[in-house]
Amino acid sequence: MSTTSTAISRELIYQVAYETNKRAAIVVPQDGLAAFGEAWERESKPLAHFILGQILENAKLAVADARPMCGDTGLPRYYVKLGNEARIDGGVVALERALRQAVADITQDIQLRSNRVHPLTRRNPGNNTGVFAPNIDYSFEPGGDWIDIIAVHKGGLFGTDYRMLFPADGTDGIKRFLLDNMAEFARRGLSCPPVVVGVGLGGTKDQAVTLSKEAACLRLIGDRHPDSEVAALEEELRHLANQTGFGVMGVGGDTTALDVHVEIAYTHTGGLPIAISQFCTAYRRSVARVFASGEVEFREDPQWFTPYYRREGIE
Amino acid sequence: MSQGQAREWELTCPLVSSDIEKLAAGDLVYLTGPVYTARDGVYQHMLIDGNAPPIDLQELTNVSLQSSPAGVEVSPGQFEVASLQATAGFRYAQYMPQLLEEFGVKAVVGKAGMSEEVYQEVFRKHGAVCLTTMGYGLGAIYGRAIKKVLGVYWVEELGISEALWTFEVDRLGPLLVEGDIHGNSFFAQVNDDINRQLMGLYDGLKPPVYGRIGEEQKPETELF
Repeated sequence: MSTTSTAISRELIYQVAYETNKRAAIVVPQDGLAAFGEAWERESKPLAHFILGQILENAKLAVADARPMCGDTGLPRYYVKLGNEARIDGGVVALERALRQAVADITQDIQLRSNRVHPLTRRNPGNNTGVFAPNIDYSFEPGGDWIDIIAVHKGGLFGTDYRMLFPADGTDGIKRFLLDNMAEFARRGLSCPPVVVGVGLGGTKDQAVTLSKEAACLRLIGDRHPDSEVAALEEELRHLANQTGFGVMGVGGDTTALDVHVEIAYTHTGGLPIAISQFCTAYRRSVARVFASGEVEFREDPQWFTPYYRREGIE
Repeated sequence: MSQGQAREWELTCPLVSSDIEKLAAGDLVYLTGPVYTARDGVYQHMLIDGNAPPIDLQELTNVSLQSSPAGVEVSPGQFEVASLQATAGFRYAQYMPQLLEEFGVKAVVGKAGMSEEVYQEVFRKHGAVCLTTMGYGLGAIYGRAIKKVLGVYWVEELGISEALWTFEVDRLGPLLVEGDIHGNSFFAQVNDDINRQLMGLYDGLKPPVYGRIGEEQKPETELF
């Protein structure tokens, strides 16, 4: 790999940021469609079965009409993975400017709800941008001369919580917090089940929250953590979440969680921080890789949690 | 597609009392006719701050949506809506007596409804029902039902997302009857079953060593 790779143009980054953002709002990813379909087939409660069928119908209509799949279009955000050899015309600042511009333009063009407001004055610029908005999160990958642009439209209100446990609380504490989280939000319409649950376990507090969000939004449904103990916990928590019986929109049903993904980070010896995030029925994500050659490849798997990203030792 | 055992109703807005009376918690409803949106911004501006609405809402309809549509101003004064969904309604319970009393609302369309006490104390008195959007992600289906944006008001005062929108809808649904005029709540019945299941799942899980912020400190007594 050469350090003199061709720079990726800012116009191309803008186009891909625009397109991924548009697709995220409108098109339910394949793993989501498959999971909703399976939940619909499996559902034993008539009303829950009917609603899951409506969700599948809604997914079709959204694509046919090119309209957002949900009326609350959430908070558009980006996850960017930079290959270590990638170069950008105008640098990372040009990339950030392109991403912000794309959010403003897509808001108008496909009629997203202008959700972003000043937290105190509630002033609404009308384009989903503002101070620290949209969120842009980064990770890096050795070797590549490409940039991955992942657009996610995350709800932005409830469904996420954090608490510090002690090590002695162990898996009982983890399970309790999962039950607390599902029960608190599945009622009152605060979360929109069936959800994909992300659990961030360990790290620092802010890492736990960040990882929980990434675990919910950036892994395919059915994917298991490479650490077998973490994978076993994922299965156990998924089973537990579905045993609650809340079901789709809390009307009572067999599927409350389409999956549970757990990410771990090494943490303080005295604590067990945990955060849980829920990715709602409006499962909104689109992924594209922009190569130095100018080629663009859209794909389903975010490939965010690479072995390098989860690295453990000193290289 | 089967809707299970639920009964389905096709209703015209403004709703007439004979239509409202036949609705029972758990029924499905499709609405056709004029409706308007009101949530945080409109409730504060119109109910608390006492600003008179720019149009006669009661003359228009008696159906109010707790919603902020995914809509934009496509050209000056011209608005379009792509997608629609209601927001969690429990937090608006405090506004219901005034909304139902002063504006004659007979159906509030929200998300997941309010508590059964609110239906018993407020909705029953006014012969009103509380409907909820379904799937919580059926934005495209609901968006398609909007045939026309009749008007958008208070955009400058409240911002486009909290503004008062009026629509003409055609078969807006499926909506679920969450609270009926007898004060019955669909979710109260569902959660009664779920709570029993849930309590069983906590059995055998030891409680955490230390509570959460707000749970542990007791300024009245604590010396530790």
